[in-house]
Amino acid sequence: MAEIKEQNEGWQSGIAKSITFIVTKDCQLACKYCYLVGKNTKERMSWEVAKQAIDYILEHEDEFNEESVIWDFIGGEPFLEIDLIDKICDYLKTEMYRLNHHWFNSYRFSFSTNGINYHTEKVQNFIKKNYEHLSIGITIDGTRRKHDLNRIWKTPEMEHGIMPKPEEEHGSYDDVVKNIPLWLEQFPGAGTKVTISSADIPYITESVLHLYSLGIHEVNINCVFEDVWKEGDDRLLEEQLMQLADAIIDGEYYKDYACSFFSESIGKPMDPELENNNWCGAGRMLAVDAAGLFYPCTRFAQYSLREKKAWVIGNVREGINKNRLRPFLTLDRCTQSPQECIDCEVASGCAWCQGENYDAACTDTIYQRSTAICKMHKARVRANNYYWNKLFRKLELEGEREEFEENRPKYNETIC
Amino acid sequence: MLQYLIILLDDTSVSYCHYENRRTERRLIDIEDLRSGILFAMKENLNIQFVYPDYDIPQEYKDLIETIDHTKIMPAGNCDGADVVVIDGIDRIADTAFDTSLTYVLRTDLKGLCRNISDIGEVLEKAARLNIVLTDIETFTEADFTEYSAALRKLATKTEELYADGKTPQLNILTDRMMLDAMNNCGAGDTNITLAPDGRFYVCPAFYLSEVGHDIGSPADGLAIANPQLYKLSHAPLCRNCDAYQCRRCVWMNRRTTLEVNTPSHEQCVTAHIERNASRELLAAIRKHGEFMAGREIVENDCLDPFDNREEW
Repeated sequence: MAEIKEQNEGWQSGIAKSITFIVTKDCQLACKYCYLVGKNTKERMSWEVAKQAIDYILEHEDEFNEESVIWDFIGGEPFLEIDLIDKICDYLKTEMYRLNHHWFNSYRFSFSTNGINYHTEKVQNFIKKNYEHLSIGITIDGTRRKHDLNRIWKTPEMEHGIMPKPEEEHGSYDDVVKNIPLWLEQFPGAGTKVTISSADIPYITESVLHLYSLGIHEVNINCVFEDVWKEGDDRLLEEQLMQLADAIIDGEYYKDYACSFFSESIGKPMDPELENNNWCGAGRMLAVDAAGLFYPCTRFAQYSLREKKAWVIGNVREGINKNRLRPFLTLDRCTQSPQECIDCEVASGCAWCQGENYDAACTDTIYQRSTAICKMHKARVRANNYYWNKLFRKLELEGEREEFEENRPKYNETIC
Repeated sequence: MLQYLIILLDDTSVSYCHYENRRTERRLIDIEDLRSGILFAMKENLNIQFVYPDYDIPQEYKDLIETIDHTKIMPAGNCDGADVVVIDGIDRIADTAFDTSLTYVLRTDLKGLCRNISDIGEVLEKAARLNIVLTDIETFTEADFTEYSAALRKLATKTEELYADGKTPQLNILTDRMMLDAMNNCGAGDTNITLAPDGRFYVCPAFYLSEVGHDIGSPADGLAIANPQLYKLSHAPLCRNCDAYQCRRCVWMNRRTTLEVNTPSHEQCVTAHIERNASRELLAAIRKHGEFMAGREIVENDCLDPFDNREEW
């Protein structure tokens, strides 16, 4: 039959609680599109705070009744704190066992890293020790010129607000790409996350194909949610994605590789009652930072917010204030959407980030959906339609369409 | 749709609702701002509710106020000519001279309510209507909910007796739900706004008195409520799926407890449902004495917080 590589569903998708330790707000890089506007070298999680967080969470098993758990570690760059992480993971394992917790043997440790320290002895020892329960994603943005356009090394002057001139910028491509073979050897099915901002639209096609050539079979790619888009960016994106569609179909990459830009489920109208779920998982997740404060998602921590105050839902000493989660857990698509989104004929697949919605809203609310991404979504839908029409025609001509329809993959709209 | 304009005449105007007014320094609204507010209300077809401080305001203010139809909300200590009298604290009941033609607002905490059930029962006979405003809902515990249920049962017994006597007492936390077939709540930012002594509009007095509040325009600049839909029932997922129609749905408490104006806290929801269920039992009890509110039913519902049923919406 015609094989079409599907995007992998996340581990225990929908039934796992995601608990994120913001172990540091520091990073070696200063990516230009990074939403973390308050990164710094000072806010590093202490062991005491981490232990208090773990103790609170594991001792309140009745409040965390999801079947599984993903212990997520982010920064900044999480592997800058590998010693702490190792200690946290050891403690988690022993405590889950000691308490006979229902998450014992149903957990993952998850990392999203810039990949720079991936090869180091400490990180590798950690991987060996926890391999069976590990998911690691390395972010590489594509070709060298695309990657280095945004993902540049931090300089000491940046801490004082002095940005390097373009010719002085030092990209991180070489420091990351050298670790890709080792990473893929250890995690052959791993995917990478690519972020698209205005400046790097022209490099989408070459970048996705480059990542495929590196042996990465799953490229999760998305446009940033912030209001960064310039006049004409939608047309550029559409052109790029159509080029990419041609390359994937003509090169038959669709059999073994996936690119999240193309999905059959996007670009359809949505029923206001039957398809009214919130997109974002904020509130169903939990994040804790160095100060021991709990958040509904990392995007509600102060270092993620440009305009608004952090949305704190508790702390490791007093626990979670459930009242502050109620808005998240009762939020639905239509209540937060303007009428143009409710009536939109290509609504499905148009994503949003609750944290960005909050930050961009004209009042302190999560109930005001940002529409900055609207024209980019519509461009994506047009290119996506082109992709599937072209692919299906090819399959028909090759006598594989009928078989594909019979084995049509189910759609799993993944939430943040 | 906007229907009411509340005008705080002074920074020390009495609180008639859940918020505390801790201001002690007088700041009378400028007479021109008052005039502008009245003009705005006339042009927008709004009913005005003037909220008074505990001192006598100047004659020119009184004269201006009398140029338009209105309601006077006044503290019990300064209530000549009031339509609504606010008794701020249960201990002040004893000092209040009740008038059967007036509405009274009693601000009390739960303990005060529970300690003075019989006094409150007597007020029902001496007032056209009694609105009880609990001032400590935010801190209610499970034990408090139990205590409140018990207090309502006692008040319901008294209310039933009065109905059996042919009287029609009105007590917001017990009789309102019997009369309602749709939400009838606070309405701040939706059916009413407030003009404060600084000459600016606010969602409600609490948003003026609070440090985190902000204005929503002025009579001169016009009304500019950001995200106005969030003050409407249609944009309150918990409330639009609820039938505790008498609930205050206090947007100020919502903001304080859940950080969203459209989302009530667990404590506010449970309190409202305890009242709803007490109303249901009262309705059944009154009907033992004869036909009453034919066709009006309050269905049995064991769930005290609609949040717990959110998967069923």
